[in-house]
Amino acid sequence: MSAARPAARRLISGRLASGGLRGAAAAVALPTASSTTTTTTTTTTTPCHQLLFAHQFHSSPQLAARRRPRFPNVRAVDMGLIEEEKVEEYTKETFPKYTEGEMKSLRKRYSEKQMAAIEAGEDAIEPRDLTMQGRLRIDPYRMPYIDDFAENQPIIDKRLRRQKDAPDPHARFMNMDEFADDLIDWADKLATGDVTGTLKTLVDFVPDQWKKKPESQWPREVQADARKAFNTYLEGEVARQAEETKAEKAGGLTGAELRSGPTDGDILKYILERSTMTDGNRTSDSSLAHALPSKVPGVAGLYKTATDLEDAGLDDLGVYQDLKRRSGMTVREIFRVDAKMLVSRRVSNQTRLGKVSKLSVMYVAGNGGGWLGLGEAKSTEETTAMEKAKLLALRNMQPIRRYEDRTIYGSVEAKVSGTIVRLASRPPGFGLRVSHRIFEMARAAGLKDLSATIPRSRNPMNSVRAAYKALLSQPDPEEMALGRGKKLVDARKVYYGGATQ
Amino acid sequence: MGIGNLVHMFSHLQNATRAHLGLTSIPNNKYNLNLALALHRAGLIASVTRGGPTPPDPATLLTAEPEVVTTANVATRRLWLGLKYWNNKPVLRKVQAVSRPSRLVTATMPQLSKISRGFHVGQIKGLTLGETLFVSTDLGVLEAREAVERKVGGLVLCRVS
Repeated sequence: MSAARPAARRLISGRLASGGLRGAAAAVALPTASSTTTTTTTTTTTPCHQLLFAHQFHSSPQLAARRRPRFPNVRAVDMGLIEEEKVEEYTKETFPKYTEGEMKSLRKRYSEKQMAAIEAGEDAIEPRDLTMQGRLRIDPYRMPYIDDFAENQPIIDKRLRRQKDAPDPHARFMNMDEFADDLIDWADKLATGDVTGTLKTLVDFVPDQWKKKPESQWPREVQADARKAFNTYLEGEVARQAEETKAEKAGGLTGAELRSGPTDGDILKYILERSTMTDGNRTSDSSLAHALPSKVPGVAGLYKTATDLEDAGLDDLGVYQDLKRRSGMTVREIFRVDAKMLVSRRVSNQTRLGKVSKLSVMYVAGNGGGWLGLGEAKSTEETTAMEKAKLLALRNMQPIRRYEDRTIYGSVEAKVSGTIVRLASRPPGFGLRVSHRIFEMARAAGLKDLSATIPRSRNPMNSVRAAYKALLSQPDPEEMALGRGKKLVDARKVYYGGATQ
Repeated sequence: MGIGNLVHMFSHLQNATRAHLGLTSIPNNKYNLNLALALHRAGLIASVTRGGPTPPDPATLLTAEPEVVTTANVATRRLWLGLKYWNNKPVLRKVQAVSRPSRLVTATMPQLSKISRGFHVGQIKGLTLGETLFVSTDLGVLEAREAVERKVGGLVLCRVS
């Protein structure tokens, strides 16, 4: 018995209580009754026993009667807090009945059956009940927002049906003549004024027989006459309007009143909203822009090619374009950087379809002037892996501190996994007495005197990584001196005239 | 007294700088004081202050007059050392004991001279960039280069970098 509502629960528990009592009474009556009635009593008691049994599982005491508060509440209506007129007024305002016009428009949209359902629904609920008993839902299936779905909210609700027409598929950009006609049409629709008054056109000065034919088909003399008449008409119009303006000015009208032509707003609207296509200014809510004509005169043959002209054909495939953008180097400079594969090994991934073998590659790149980068990449294709690793190495190039451009500062140690690499600075002419991978790294970075030991694990990848880490973690004597508050002097530079090379 | 307490000071200083402490204390004795002053001369620590069991006020660390040491309070005196940091990294990073209570290591003046130029002498490795070596001599605790300058050798205490 899991009744969500206290009223329902009370009802059920009340019923059970009465049933149980009845059952108990019957059970008590059983021994005293004669044995002839046994069959009838048992048939009646069985369900009652079950009910009683079920009821006993509840720990809360059953209620004998409807619970009444010790201090009865007084209803708001009785206290005069609610006025019936106000309720009615609110109801009428908030939940009005459909007007005849609304019903008519609904009928247009819905079938008769649907209309009947709507009307039945309208009749089923008293508007007053909505006012008095309408509650905000608190059940777990309520909407996450408060809404009676009377209005369409564009953010939440589904979009309304398309209101505007589809764009004209055959529309194209207007040519000069069409554009001029369109502009005149637009201007004619505005209020009359200096510029926009409905003027006569050339056609008005042609005999009737030629009026419907295009200008090019008119005989020459007809054309000449029409133009002459049109020009005199225009001159007359201009003079007339000038006089009118003069008269108005004399009459004390201001500039704003004089200008009865298009306002700035009209012009802006023309620029922004007037269609430049031959679609009769049809508005559509399509967000697609019309395609440009296939060949724009004056631009043909000037389109940008994918590759940069600065590369001088060195990078037609565009492999180094991203690196160029990131590093600011030219392709020629990129080619000048020394990149070398230090480690390559086959790795395989065991899948349920078999082993997927890939090549894992490690590249080092350096410009021989104190810049060094490390790149690692994997691919099923060897060339792809190598290319990726090389580009990454080039991209990861960082400056390495060098003492006198030949060796490192002090001795440094770095650990990657079980590999420790110890690098130490050495005097000029010592050379690179290091293992072959670190040798390549030192050469790429432009180090000439260096010693290194790898006392523990000599895993190729880790030793390269550790050497790189060590080179990057060199101490800075200047910083050290600043930290200790000491003055730092390089004795070599002081006593031997700064012999660097 | 041996150098056992001094070795404790080394490890304590190393722990304190790694924990980025600003002010730390060590027991107040002559050996500790001498080494602390030598470290201060080398610019590895910021200040050496004699104080009690509670840390002195950092604002008046250098100006406050220390309490007079009497027989009553001498046992509670401690040396408060200000630690240095530069660019968020400790100036004093590593303090490594050379002499241990079980094995004292000494170095003569010529040996110290070699060591400070970066050459190994016996079990003492040559100093590299940023390293200093502290030696206990007749003239007090000195840095290796100071000892060479003053032409004394002595007991090699620690290697600091």
